[in-house]
Amino acid sequence: MKEEDLNRIVLSYLKKKGYRNAEAAFKSESKTQSLQEMVNGQENDLDVSILNHVYLYVKGENSPSRYGESYSKLQAWVHDSLDLYKNELSRILYPIFVHCFLQLVAKGYPTEAREFFQAFKADHQSAHGRDLQKLEGVSNPQHLLDNDLAKSYRENKFSVKLCQYSCELLISFLHDSEMMLMLSLVNEHLNLEVVPGQPSPLPEEDEAFTVTGKPQEALENLNRSEIRWGQLEDGIEQRFEEKMAEEAAEAANEEKKEGDPSKPPSKKLKKDGKAGGGAKAGKQGAKAAASGATRVPSVIPLPRLSEEVEGLAFEDLRKRVQLGSAALPSVCFYTFMNHYNSLNTVALSQDGSKVAAGFSDSSVKVWDMSKRTVSQPQAQSAEARTSEGAGPGPGSQSQAASAPGSMGYSLFQAHSGPVYGADFSPDDRFLLSSSADTTVRLWSMELGANLVCYKGHNYPVWDVRFSPLGHYFATASHDRTARIWSTDRVHPLRIMAGHLSDVDCVRWHPNCNYVATGSSDKTVRLWDVSSGECMRIFTGHRSTILSLAMSPDGRHMASADEDGTIMVWDLGSGRKVVTPLLGRNGCVWSLAFSSEGSLLASGSEDNCVRIWDVGASTRAPKGDDKPGTARRLRLLKTLPTKHTPVYSLQFSPRNLLFAAGAAQRPKS
Amino acid sequence: MSLVSKNSIQVAAQSLGIPNLGDEVAQALAPDVEYRIREICQEAIKCMRHSKRSTLTTDDVNSALSLRNVEPLYGFSSDDPLRFRKALGHSDLFYLDDKELDFSEIIDAPLPKPPIDTTVIAHWLAVDGVQPAIQENPPPGAELTLPTEQKKKIEGQPGLGAPEDLPVEVKPAVKHVISKELQLYFEKIMELVTSGTDSKLLNDAVRSLASDSGIHPLVPYFIQFIQDEVQRSLHDLPLLFTLMRVAEALLANPHVHIEGYLQQLIPSVVTCLVARRLGGRKNGYRHWDLRDFSATIVATICHRYGHSYSNIQPRLTKTLVNSFLNPKQTYPQHYGSIKGLVALGNRVVRLLVLPNLATYLELLREDLDPQKQKDEVRRYEAQRVYGLLQVAAGNCMFEALKEQPQLGELLLKSRPMTGAKVRTSKAGKDTKPEGPSAMDTSAPEARQTRQGGLPGSSGQTEANAGTNGSVVGKKRRRPPGETQEDASKVLAEAWKEEGDTWRLFGKLIELFGDSMLPFVPRPQLTLMHSYN
Repeated sequence: MKEEDLNRIVLSYLKKKGYRNAEAAFKSESKTQSLQEMVNGQENDLDVSILNHVYLYVKGENSPSRYGESYSKLQAWVHDSLDLYKNELSRILYPIFVHCFLQLVAKGYPTEAREFFQAFKADHQSAHGRDLQKLEGVSNPQHLLDNDLAKSYRENKFSVKLCQYSCELLISFLHDSEMMLMLSLVNEHLNLEVVPGQPSPLPEEDEAFTVTGKPQEALENLNRSEIRWGQLEDGIEQRFEEKMAEEAAEAANEEKKEGDPSKPPSKKLKKDGKAGGGAKAGKQGAKAAASGATRVPSVIPLPRLSEEVEGLAFEDLRKRVQLGSAALPSVCFYTFMNHYNSLNTVALSQDGSKVAAGFSDSSVKVWDMSKRTVSQPQAQSAEARTSEGAGPGPGSQSQAASAPGSMGYSLFQAHSGPVYGADFSPDDRFLLSSSADTTVRLWSMELGANLVCYKGHNYPVWDVRFSPLGHYFATASHDRTARIWSTDRVHPLRIMAGHLSDVDCVRWHPNCNYVATGSSDKTVRLWDVSSGECMRIFTGHRSTILSLAMSPDGRHMASADEDGTIMVWDLGSGRKVVTPLLGRNGCVWSLAFSSEGSLLASGSEDNCVRIWDVGASTRAPKGDDKPGTARRLRLLKTLPTKHTPVYSLQFSPRNLLFAAGAAQRPKS
Repeated sequence: MSLVSKNSIQVAAQSLGIPNLGDEVAQALAPDVEYRIREICQEAIKCMRHSKRSTLTTDDVNSALSLRNVEPLYGFSSDDPLRFRKALGHSDLFYLDDKELDFSEIIDAPLPKPPIDTTVIAHWLAVDGVQPAIQENPPPGAELTLPTEQKKKIEGQPGLGAPEDLPVEVKPAVKHVISKELQLYFEKIMELVTSGTDSKLLNDAVRSLASDSGIHPLVPYFIQFIQDEVQRSLHDLPLLFTLMRVAEALLANPHVHIEGYLQQLIPSVVTCLVARRLGGRKNGYRHWDLRDFSATIVATICHRYGHSYSNIQPRLTKTLVNSFLNPKQTYPQHYGSIKGLVALGNRVVRLLVLPNLATYLELLREDLDPQKQKDEVRRYEAQRVYGLLQVAAGNCMFEALKEQPQLGELLLKSRPMTGAKVRTSKAGKDTKPEGPSAMDTSAPEARQTRQGGLPGSSGQTEANAGTNGSVVGKKRRRPPGETQEDASKVLAEAWKEEGDTWRLFGKLIELFGDSMLPFVPRPQLTLMHSYN
């Protein structure tokens, strides 16, 4: 580094920045040799590139065209690089592209920004089309503050995984070709994660840039935190198992000592808690361990089920059909006719006997299917289905309370905006509906009337779900929060904030300790109900999450997005269990696990109910924990409907699948 | 630069009552307007998704506006997607066709009917994973084949778990249940067919059979019905006709998979083709039509399913040839079998009918002669068969001639033959039998190379010929002439398809006389004349 070079650089910098006094001072001082000495002292530490940076910064500061030039240079370099590293290196292009654009906008060059965008957007259209759409309109610095996507891009760093060598290649290229602009972008906005080992050979299709609002390390730590994903302790299934064991033991006892009925094992004792003694508890523990399912106590107080309900539930469990890849379910389909495109949501009661529909005209209508003479090809099955209907109580009065019986449904009117979400309580006695008028309403099926109106959200409430045991419910809203409520309070108990965009859907974990939310920010998050904290962030989807489903054993979660991609996650490890099928099948509106968790049903916009084999896909052979060996979901069956997108799916406790959709006019 | 031009901004400003909006202001506003519009669109798309639609409606836009606390746009609500029209002279300018309505007209008009209320209809999309073929489900077809392919594809991928892990699928026998509607439908059709009174209704029924997607479960019953009725009512010609129409309709229905029932259906159709007696005496000659119609059905079956079920056509032709060559059978039976063979195409005719032609005509000629055959009916029948054979042979020849490229050379070769033809036609009836008699001796030689079904029948033919009197015997003793030798060769080669078409042609003319000439394509005919 020559002295005059240095002087020249410093001078031009000062001139550019308008530090006239400093310039003058520098000129005068440069005559004395003090600076020379100073520089000499530091010369060893000074990196040439930094000096270049300073120099080039001065040179190119005011020319927006440099963005385009540098970017195209970088692009050309990446495309010409060895195939081995190409896949990895091409990952940095999108973030660089976005930040070039955003910086141009931020510096006030809307025209150049747009030119840049148009020139290079084609490369990213396929993978990030939706995001590009959102960004395209951004044209002045004010928009950067308004646009949530732009904001989150600017506030967070992209994480890019590169292997050691690729990373070195990149850095040295940026240094050598004096691309200080790109280098600064990389430094500023990218989080280069150096992965040891060879470059990944295949383009990872699941590699999606998803901004989570948290640094990568924090995210990983978060996903490593302990989670108790087991089934609910003392839940209905456990009690059923106990009861069966009890009965078996009883039968054995009675066989042994027929004339000795002095010690009948008391059911009450058992129900009141584990009063059966340590031996019994030990036995149960052993059994639970044997079946592989861990039971988790609930951290929130849960309602007790009445004995009648429990009896019915036991009955259902006893009659449950075992499903699997060889035994596919029967599907009963409810088609909505004459809906005039105003049907927004369909909720099915657990046993499929009631159908609630939310409409754009703010009405909620409930059909009691068990009461109707349905034209069924198989009369017997229809009977079986109706007899499966809930207890004698609920349905009988709702009709009396409803509008004229000739309509065949009960009409609920109170909302003042389109109804977007609805859900039945587990005992079918209540219905929740959420609407664009920001409220959630609780309806009594017995009275046919609105009981409570829950206000708290500030924007439309997209989804509402009862907890698996009732009493609590969760809502998801446009205001980017999910909230937990209990039916007896009009204010929310917990507010879960963290999503960067709308929360579109919400589901409860079977043990009631967690809720999962899917959002337009392309992440699925799992929240602890008692603390309200985020426990897991699942990234990988490329578009809005539209539906979620939790497996009954509480271990897996399925999520589906607008593109038709379905992913299955392991809640414990936070990893994908099966790699997604990047289908272009249209939006998947609904997902449902069968009651014992072996099958997954998806209902989509392309007029199909698809049955997937989860059991075989998730029951990975031992040691199959490496992400590289993730398997695909196996499609078992596609059941096309007649021009009817499938809005909602529900497996009954006996494993009959109910589906509902609105018939569309066939496209001519 | 932005999609919204500053002119649009100025126009909008004028409509809001700002007459002179500065250029710079408009320029500055334009990008922001575009951004806001995009923002609204994205919110609207969110609303659309939550309404579970894939078409953006005006309601969605209004919801999005209200999300942003903007007054919604009134007057654009519509149940249907808006229809835009292209503005003339602009490639990318569209407008809404908004008709001006007269208010008084609307007030005076009677109230429109209230829309039909929303209903829910339940049906079985699948029973134990199998889709029942009912009206509510889409017809099985293209959609169903896809998943299996996909499944195979997915299973074929490595790391999916060995297929042997999968449990073997053993499906219990499913009881075939037919809905009440289908049962009623079946009964109604049966009634219509058997009563045969209302022809209009019957036409509708047949049309329904040919197009309805939901009747697949009934196919076995229909086939059984046809089979039973054909057997029972061979005398009832109209009924047979109707049954054949039903069979044709079922074959035509694209939603019905009839392959499995073909072996049941074909005998019924063939019966209608070659049965000894179809219909009572009073029906007179209509049974010929039925045979014609049945022949087309046979041809349809072979054409459609011949590829996937390779044994259909051989079996059919074998049956028909056997019937054709059995001299004990009546002329109508022969007619039916020939008709069937003809319907199967020229190739079949060439392979199976032409080689036996000479022999057969010999037999036929006895009955054609009004002096020898006194029975009017029998003579008529013989004439009919003769006519059919003539047409069949002629068509066959026509096709063959059309494909003949090397005309000149062949014509030269065949000149002696045409000469022979001219001679025979001039000679008239007396000389005609010569050819056929020559054929009689040469035929076995040709047959030896053919499939096994024929030798037996050839024996019969000869035996039969023997009973016809001493005339044949005498003729056989006569030494065969040059032309006759040629003729036998020609026919032997004809079925090999390598033979000389022109010689075949000559032979046919020899057999049928000048009536063959209309079957010669025009260019070839003129050529021929020039050579003559």
